[in-house]
This record gives sequence, C-alpha cells and structure tokens, in this order.
Amino acid sequence: MFSKLALRNVTRSVGDYTVYFLTIAFGVCLFYTFNSIEGQGAMSFLASADNPVVGGILAMINVFSVFVSVVLAGLILYANNFLIRRRKRELGTYFMLGMDPGRVSRLLLLETFFIGLAALAVGLVLGALLSHGLSLLTLSMFQVPMMEFHLSFSVEAAVKTAGYFAVIFLIVIFFNNISISRAKLIDLMQGERKNEELKQRPLAVSVVLFLAGALLLGAAYALLMIRGILTIDPLWFLMLGLGTLGTLLIFRSLSGFVLRMTQNQPRLYYKGLNMFTLRQWMSRVHSTYLSMTVICIMLLLAIGITACSVGLNGAIDSMTADEAVYDCTMQDYNEEGEPLSDRLRAAGLNLDGVFSDWHSGVLYYNKSEVTGVEAEMAVKLSDYNGLMAIQGLPALTLEGDTPQIRSEELGNRVGYREYVVIPDEMAQKLEVRRFVFSGSYAGEAMEAEAQFQAAFDQVVEQYSEGAYTAHTRLETYLDLMGNKILVLYLGLYLGATFLLASAAVLALQQLSQAADNTGRYAILRRLGTPERMMERSVFHQIALAFGLPLLLALVHAFVGMTSANQIIAEVGKVDVTTSSLITAALLLTIYGGYFLATFLAGRRLLFLKEK
Amino acid sequence: MEPILQVTDLTKTYGGRGSATTALAGVSLAVEKGEFVGVMGASGSGKTTLLNCVSTIDRPTSGSIRVEGFPLEKLKGKQLARFRREKLGFIFQDCNLLDTLTAFENIALALTICGAPAGRIPDRVREMAQLLEIEGCLQKYPYQMSGGQQQRVAAARALVTGPALILADEPTGALDSKSAKLLLERFQYLNQAADATLLMVTHDAFTASYCHRVIFLQDGQVYLELERGTRSRKSFFSDIIRVVTELGGESADVL
Repeated sequence: MFSKLALRNVTRSVGDYTVYFLTIAFGVCLFYTFNSIEGQGAMSFLASADNPVVGGILAMINVFSVFVSVVLAGLILYANNFLIRRRKRELGTYFMLGMDPGRVSRLLLLETFFIGLAALAVGLVLGALLSHGLSLLTLSMFQVPMMEFHLSFSVEAAVKTAGYFAVIFLIVIFFNNISISRAKLIDLMQGERKNEELKQRPLAVSVVLFLAGALLLGAAYALLMIRGILTIDPLWFLMLGLGTLGTLLIFRSLSGFVLRMTQNQPRLYYKGLNMFTLRQWMSRVHSTYLSMTVICIMLLLAIGITACSVGLNGAIDSMTADEAVYDCTMQDYNEEGEPLSDRLRAAGLNLDGVFSDWHSGVLYYNKSEVTGVEAEMAVKLSDYNGLMAIQGLPALTLEGDTPQIRSEELGNRVGYREYVVIPDEMAQKLEVRRFVFSGSYAGEAMEAEAQFQAAFDQVVEQYSEGAYTAHTRLETYLDLMGNKILVLYLGLYLGATFLLASAAVLALQQLSQAADNTGRYAILRRLGTPERMMERSVFHQIALAFGLPLLLALVHAFVGMTSANQIIAEVGKVDVTTSSLITAALLLTIYGGYFLATFLAGRRLLFLKEK
Repeated sequence: MEPILQVTDLTKTYGGRGSATTALAGVSLAVEKGEFVGVMGASGSGKTTLLNCVSTIDRPTSGSIRVEGFPLEKLKGKQLARFRREKLGFIFQDCNLLDTLTAFENIALALTICGAPAGRIPDRVREMAQLLEIEGCLQKYPYQMSGGQQQRVAAARALVTGPALILADEPTGALDSKSAKLLLERFQYLNQAADATLLMVTHDAFTASYCHRVIFLQDGQVYLELERGTRSRKSFFSDIIRVVTELGGESADVL
C-alpha cells in the first residue's frame, strides 16, 4: 500500500521529476564513465606497456571523483529541495490525515529510492555507451595498432558509482528528515502563498549599472590581454574581481537596460507578448542575478577547462613527430666505445631481421681548425646519409669536400640543433664524441621493440663501461599518450561536471518560476492570447535564462582562451578548431539537453492549468 | 437590427448519468447594441455558468449563443481564442491585472495580442485611460494602485480593443462602496459616450441599479426581467431590492 503510494506519486509527478532524474542519471553516467577508464582500450594498452602514467591517471581520477561527487551531492540536494517545495501542500495533506512525520519521511525515502534506482540504471547504461565513445575518441587520437576492442562493462566501476551515489542519497534522506520534522503544518498548507515583493527600480539606474558593468569587464579583459593569464600577483586577483563584479552588474541590469532600449522601438515593444516576456525577465532579476553570475562562472570554467585540455592535447600531439623521428635510437656516451651495431649483434640481435633499415654511426667533437666551420659536433657524410636514408630523406653530396652545416635530426633525442657534415676522411683528425644507432623496425613494432629492448639490456650488462640511452618512438608515443589522456580525461571530467551543475541549477530555477507563472498565463488565456504566442513567450524566457549566462561565459572564454592559447602555443601547435568543436559538442549535449527538457516541462505547466 | 448577444434556450448540465446537476435549464435572453444589462441571482442560480458559456470558457449542453449573429458553437480551438480577443472584453472580480506590468502595459497588452499596429497603441491606451480617469497611474504597477484604480485599468484593458460585448463578473465585488460607485459611474459613462455594450453579473442590488435592464435568474431559468426605463436610479434600486427579497422569500419557503 505504502510503496504503491510512493510509486504512484513518482509516476504522477513525472514531469517534476524529469530534471531531478536527468541530473542523477547524468551524474551517474559521468561518474561511471571516468571511473571505468581503467579497463578501456587505450588505458589497457598503456597498462600493458607498463606505462607509469596509468597509475597517475587512475589516482587523479579518484581524487577528482571525490570533488565531483561533492558537486553532485550539492546539486541533488538542491533538486530535492525544489521537489519538496513544490509538494508542500501535498505533504501538509498527509500530516492533516494524521500520518506521522516518520511515515512521511519513509514515503519520501521510498520515492527517492525508486527514482534513484531508475536513474542509476539509466545512468549506468548511458555511462557504458559514453565510456565506449570516449575509448573510440581516445583511440582515434593515436595511430597505435589496436588490439581487439569491444563494448565492455566494468562491474568495479559500477559498484563504485553505486556506492558513491548511495552515500549521496543517505545525505539527501537525512536532510529530508530534518526539513520534514521541522516543518510546521501551517507553512506546508500555505506553501503556495508567496510574499514576493515586486520592487521595480527606475530604468535609468539599470542603464547606468549596465554601462558600469561593461566598463569593469572591459578593464578586466584589458588586464588579461596585456598581462597574460599566468602572471599571478595582486593585479591578477584584481582582474578576477573586476571580471566577477562586471558580470554581476551586467546580469543585475541587463533586463532593465534591454527593456529601456526596447521601449524606444515600438515595433518590437508592442509586438505580441514581447512586453510581457521582458517584464517577466525583469521581475526575476532581483532573485536570480546572483545565481546567474555563479552559473556564468561555472560555465566559463567548464568551457575553459574543456577547451584548454583539448587544446593542450593537440599541442602535445604535435611534439611527438619532432621527438621521435626513428623507430628507435640507441646512444653510447662513452668516447672509447665501438660501433653499437657490433655490440647489439654481440648481444644476439639479428639486426637485418628486426630492422628493415638501420645505421650505426659516430658523432665527433668539431674542431674549427680542421673543418673550418664553427659547430658543436661533426658527423661523417656516410653516417649522415645513412641516417637520412632511414628517414627517407635525400642523400647529400659535399661539393669540393667542403663541410656543410645541417640541422636534420640524427636520432631520437640526439639533441643537436646544428652540426657540421664532413667528408669521411676528415673524421680521422677529430675525437669521438658519441656512438649512435638508429633503425626502422621490420614487421610488427611491439614485437621488434621487445627484441630490441632485450638486446639493449644485454648490452648494458655485457659492456658495462658504456653510458647508454635508448629512445624509441613507441615509448615516446606511450608517454605522450599517457599525458594526453591525463589532460583530456581530467579536463572533460571537470568540464562536464561544471556544465551539468550549471544546466541543472538553471533548469530547476526555471521550473520553479514556471510554476509561479501559471496564474499569469491563465490571465493571458482569458484575454484570448493564442497558445502559440504563449509557447513562444515561454520559449523566449527560458532561452534568455539559459542563453545569457552562456553568451557571457563564451565571451569570457573567448578572451581567456586567446590569452591561454598564447601559452599553449609555446608548448606546441594550437588546434583551435578541434578544441572548439569538442567543447561545442559537450555544451550542446548537456546544456542543450537541459534546455529542451526545461522548455518541454515549462510548456506542460502552461497547458496544465486549464484542465 | 440584430442584437449583439442572442441566447436561445440554453441548458447546461454537469456530471454524468444519475448524478447530473442542472446549472442552466433553458435560458433565453438578448442584449441589444449599446445596452447595459445586469444579471442577478443567488449563488447556484446559474449566473456564473451563463457568463462562462457566453465567454466561451465553458460549452453549453444545448441551446445556442450568437454574438453579432454568429453562432459560438461553431468555433473551435484557435478560432475560440481569436473570438475571445476580438469580440469580447472581460472584467473580473479579482481584476486579473498582470502584476509584472505597469497599468499602461497591461492595457497595451490587449492590443498587442490582437496584433494592432504598434504606432497607434500608445494613443489608444491614453484615450481609454482618459475615459476611465486613470491617466495619473498609467506608469504604476498594480500593487501601487488602489483596488478601484486596478478595476478601472482592467476595464480600460477590456475596452481598448473595441469589443462587441463587455462581460463583467462581479466587478465591484472586491471594492469598497466609494470605489464601486466610481467604477459604476465610469461604466455608465462608457456605455453612453463610447456606446459600449455591457453584460454584468452581480449579486449586489446597488451595483445592478446602474443597469438599463436587470435579468433575474433562479434555478437555471429566467425568473423575471426589470426595465429601468426613465425612472430614477433610486426607484429602480427599490424595485430590485423587492425582487431580491421575493426571490429570497421563495427559497426560504422551500427550506
């Protein structure tokens, strides 16, 4: 009987629960996705190569998960409060009928439980899909030969997610109990009545405030662009303060400013319900401008973090090609050594089997009295041509045996920006500096790499007088891949969480206002307002609430990113298009989803009253 | 000339088989252009149902309602909304002004909903405000005005679109006697000066005494009609009181 009532309550107020449900489901989905990455294709590939970044990524995800769960807990509490407020009267009726607070609490608990369970299930399914999508995205970023890959479900991550959300629900239930045991019947029964005072200030004040806000923002932008984003000193905090205050002032005064401006445009002002829409917006400002500011800043963080992480990713990517021009490079810093090809052979490596192309060479100290050229290092023409051939570069001829300055990479992390190429016989007059060996793998890279690594270890052991290093493309790649995944995952995780939080808060705010508006729409309907016109007004109001913080956040983000990209550009090439696209996709999905849900629910409330 | 409003044999029953309640049991009446007609009756006599049917908020069970000769039962959905905003003006007991808009905007809204050309809106609003003597509070919000002022703003909103028929539901119900008198005098003036046709539902004899004609309803039927003719308002008022007492007496007999 009791659970039947709870179930009926849930199904009956499905509309009210939509946003609540959506918030939990998205939260679960995010949480699962990022906690399940351990078993994902890219990560298991990294783990199989014993990459130390893996542990780091997992640890960071764990730490961030705690932070994210705190944000989600706050969000779910907020959504829950909204529901309780909407149902004050109903709860009051239960009390009137003689239900004791404990039973009412249990009723709410059951409802929350049903919703939570459903949202958990939906969230996990969504999470499994998203996790798959994230894997594909990650994989598409690397040209690594991929192992077999299929849709997987991580039980461990699911249990962890369920555990975190169970704790969040316990907190929600705890707060529900408090608010119910404290509630007075009179307040519950008159919960519908509101003493909202409509204070309207002169429009001229709005105009002044708006201009002041714009000025402050301009100053903050100027500071940012001139000083850069990373000069953290008192002025940096001043910039932050100016920006925040400017945003606050703009949200506080924008509606009045627009209203004032529109009043001078009779064609716009006296068209359909425009007048009503603008006044509705204006009447809310006093209760919403603070939250609008917070939401705008959260959106800015979401956009900034996502775009930066994606951008940084692209920058890291462009470093790979420069750092690893050969499949593998081995060096011996011992000046008294011998050609590395001999040592590798002695260690049992079948050079011609493992490598499709290889070259073993010597680097010399340059003497300008011998070569006639100022440079740090010299290399024989035959070695130079041999190494270039592996890269597929054309051979060099020294006209009249004149040494020539070159700058091509002679190996992975050999590290000379400029050196001199000399005729082979000139080398006899120079001292050996280093031995290098570079090669291209024949056949499967991972297999060849394993053989090379084994031989390398053998050489290190057998000829311990040498000072060896080895840098392979695969290794560099895995390192970079780890860093990329770390940056990308954490960025997306935080960005999506902030986005979710701001969209959910907006949606709940709009819905609680829509409920207050039913009376106003009833008046409009009696005046014979066409339904379409009212729908449009609802759409405009919700679009304003969602669009304005986003718009301002985008402007902030644009200025901020312009500044940040200058720094990212120092690390590597900035790919603005990709980062913008991924950020936009994320925005569209989460923010757009909430916008649509809010509009549909708002429209439903509009139709509700007449029946 | 055809009457503005022609109600013929109107019935309205609520509820299903077995437990049907008859709110209107065959009401016929007509309102001519430029008339100011009152409808009186005790609670449950069907006067609000009648008003709801005429204002297209409710649909009658049988019978017909014609406004300017056009039968309302043929209207559906969008046409209904259009009919409401173009042909009818409403004044309610709780004046139903939008609290977020100024008086000026409340009146103008009725015009913008009809899609009136923007250029003419301010003038028409001011014209109406002059008629109702509310020019002083056009820039005020509803909460800054007295009940009487609010009701007159509502009247201006109802009139500004030039509707064929103005329906008023207990317009003085929430007003003190002084404001009520002011409002009714304005109604009278509008009726004479602007040739507005009014149908007013009330249970208050004093309010009804401002009408040209009062129709009394009882148990969903027309009980009696009183014409004011050339009499003074006071003598009309005593007549109304007499009928009201009569009606009350009859129902007392039933008890």
